[in-house]
Amino acid sequence: MSVTMRRRFRLEPYVEFAKRAIAREATYRFNVFTGLGSLVVRVYLLRTVWTALYAHNAAPRELPLHAIVTYSTVALLMGLVLDIDQTRALYDRLHDGSIATDFMKPINVPLYFFADGTGEVLFHGALLVPALGFALLLVHVDVPSLGVLAAFAVSFLLGYFVGFFLNFILNCSAFWTLEISAVQMIVTWLTDLLGGQLVPLVFFPAALAGVVYALPFAAMFSTPLLIYVGVIGPERYFDVMASQLAWIVVLGTVSTLLWRAGARRVVVQGG
Amino acid sequence: MPIIETVDLRKVFRSIKREPGLRGALGALFTREYEEKAAVEGVSFSLEPGEVVGYIGPNGAGKSTTIKMLTGILVPTSGTVRVAGLVPYEQREANAENIGVVFGQRSQLYWDLPLRESFELLRSIYDISRDRYRENLAEFSRLLDLERFMGTPVRQLSLGERMRGDFAAAMLHDPKLVFLDEPTIGLDVIAKESIREFVARVNRERGTTVILTTHDLADVERLCPRIILIDEGKVIYDGALERLREEYGTHRTLVVTLFESYPEFAVDGAVVESREANVVRLRFDRRKLSAETLVRRVLDRYAISDIAIVEPDIESIVRRLYLEGYGGTARVEPP
Repeated sequence: MSVTMRRRFRLEPYVEFAKRAIAREATYRFNVFTGLGSLVVRVYLLRTVWTALYAHNAAPRELPLHAIVTYSTVALLMGLVLDIDQTRALYDRLHDGSIATDFMKPINVPLYFFADGTGEVLFHGALLVPALGFALLLVHVDVPSLGVLAAFAVSFLLGYFVGFFLNFILNCSAFWTLEISAVQMIVTWLTDLLGGQLVPLVFFPAALAGVVYALPFAAMFSTPLLIYVGVIGPERYFDVMASQLAWIVVLGTVSTLLWRAGARRVVVQGG
Repeated sequence: MPIIETVDLRKVFRSIKREPGLRGALGALFTREYEEKAAVEGVSFSLEPGEVVGYIGPNGAGKSTTIKMLTGILVPTSGTVRVAGLVPYEQREANAENIGVVFGQRSQLYWDLPLRESFELLRSIYDISRDRYRENLAEFSRLLDLERFMGTPVRQLSLGERMRGDFAAAMLHDPKLVFLDEPTIGLDVIAKESIREFVARVNRERGTTVILTTHDLADVERLCPRIILIDEGKVIYDGALERLREEYGTHRTLVVTLFESYPEFAVDGAVVESREANVVRLRFDRRKLSAETLVRRVLDRYAISDIAIVEPDIESIVRRLYLEGYGGTARVEPP
C-alpha cells in the first residue's frame, strides 16, 4: 500500500530562506566594515610585495607587473564570495542538534542550506561594488574585453559551485565526526595556496603544478583568474570550463552520496 | 483506521566504546570498538484519530527515539511504522505536512527573527492559504496572548513566551497529529495551565491527535485519558490512566507520628517504608487490610500523637512501575 507520492515542488519557501539570510547577514554590520577594511589593506600589501619582487627579478613574459597586480586584486575580490563557508549552517545545526527540527519540516533540507547560503553569498557579493571602488583608489586594475569578461564571469560561477560542494562535503562530514574545524583549516589553507589565490599557479615548479591541477582547488580561483588576465586564451576556454564542470559533477555526486548516508544516520546530539 | 501504527519497532544505536579517562580518550582516537545499544526494542501500539496519549517513561527509556522514528528523522532498525498512512522515513516531507512538533528544550522558531517573521516563513513552508493563516493566527494569538511580543526577536523572549510561540508555530498548518516533547518543562504554574488549556482545546475543537511525552505527570492527568509507559525500550503498560490507578494504586500509606521513640516498630500486615525520628511511614494493601484494622493494630501497641492516610498519586504509581516493572502481568490492551 506504500504509495510514493511525488510532492509538488514549490520554490517559494527557498526564496524566503534566501531573503531571510540576507536580512540576517545585514545585521552583522561590524563584520561588513572590518571585512572591507581588511580587504583594502590586503590589496595594498600585495601590490607592494609584487612590485618589490618584480623590481629584483626578471618578469615572466605572460604576467607582467600590471597583470599580476590585476590578478591578485581580482583574486582578493573573488575571495569576498569564494571564502564564505555558505553551508556552515549545516555544521552548526548538526552540532547543536537543531537539524532535527529542520527534518521535521516539509522542506528539502539540503536545498534549504543552499538557499540560505545563496542569500549569504548574494549579500557579500553586493559588497564587491564598494570593495572594487576602494581597490581602484589604490591600484590599477586592467579591464579586459567584454568577451573575456563574460568568459571570466561564467568560469567564476563554475568556480563558485566547486567551492560550494567542497564546503558542503566538509560540513557533511560533521554527520560522522561532529568536529571539523581542523580539517576545515587545512582545506582553507590548501584552497588559498593551491587554488592560486595568493600566487598564480603558473609560478609553481612543473612537478608541483601537476599535483595542483589534479586537485579541485585550481578550478575555484586559478581558472577564472587566468582567463581574466589572458594567460588562458579563448582557444582553451572550452577545455578549462569542461574541467571545472567535471569537478562540479564529481563533487556534486560525492555531496549527494554523503548527504544520503549522513541523513540516514542522523544522530542528534542531546536529543 | 489508526493514525499511528507501529509494529515491533526497534532502533539499535552503535557507538564507539570508550574507556574512561585520558587514556581512554586517546585510545578512542585509534581503536574502533563499537557497542550496540537498543534504544527501542519491539514497540507496538496504535492510536486512533483524536486521541490524546501520554507517552511516558524514565530518562533514556526510548521516548525521544520513538518520536524521531514517527517524525521520519530516524530510520528504524526493524519493524514497521505508519503515520496517517505514510511511512515516515520514506516520505519524510509528506509526513511532515501532517504533523506538528513542539520541543520544550528546543525551539523551531527562527532565533534572529521576530516571532511574526517566523510565522510568515512557516506560512510559506507549509503553503498555508492566506485566509487560513490569518484565521489561525488570530485565534492562537487570542488564546495564547501573543500580540504583545509578535514583533520581538525570538532570542529576546522569555521561556513562557517562546513556548507559546512554539505552540502556535506547530499548529498553524492544521496538523492532524502533534508531538509534544516535554512542552511544559521549566514553566511556571500559570504558563503550564495556559499551555494545557490550549492543547485540550485544540484537541476538542479540531480533533487533533496528541502524543505527549513528559516527566510532569500533572500534564498527563490533566490531558491524557490513555497512557503508554515505556521503560528500557519496551512498552510496560498501555491503557487507561484510570485503570492504572485502580490496579496499581492498591497501596496506601499510613503516616504515624509516635509519641515517644520506640527502639522497634512493626505492625502485622504493613511494611515500614521509612522512619525518620518519630515519623513512620507504613505501606499497606487496601485489598488485604482496611485502614481501620491497621490503625487499631498500631494503637494497640504504640502511643501516637498524629496519624494520616496518604492515597497514592499517579506519580508514585509510575515510580513504582519504573522500579519494579509491570509485575509480570500481560500487557494491558487499550480499551
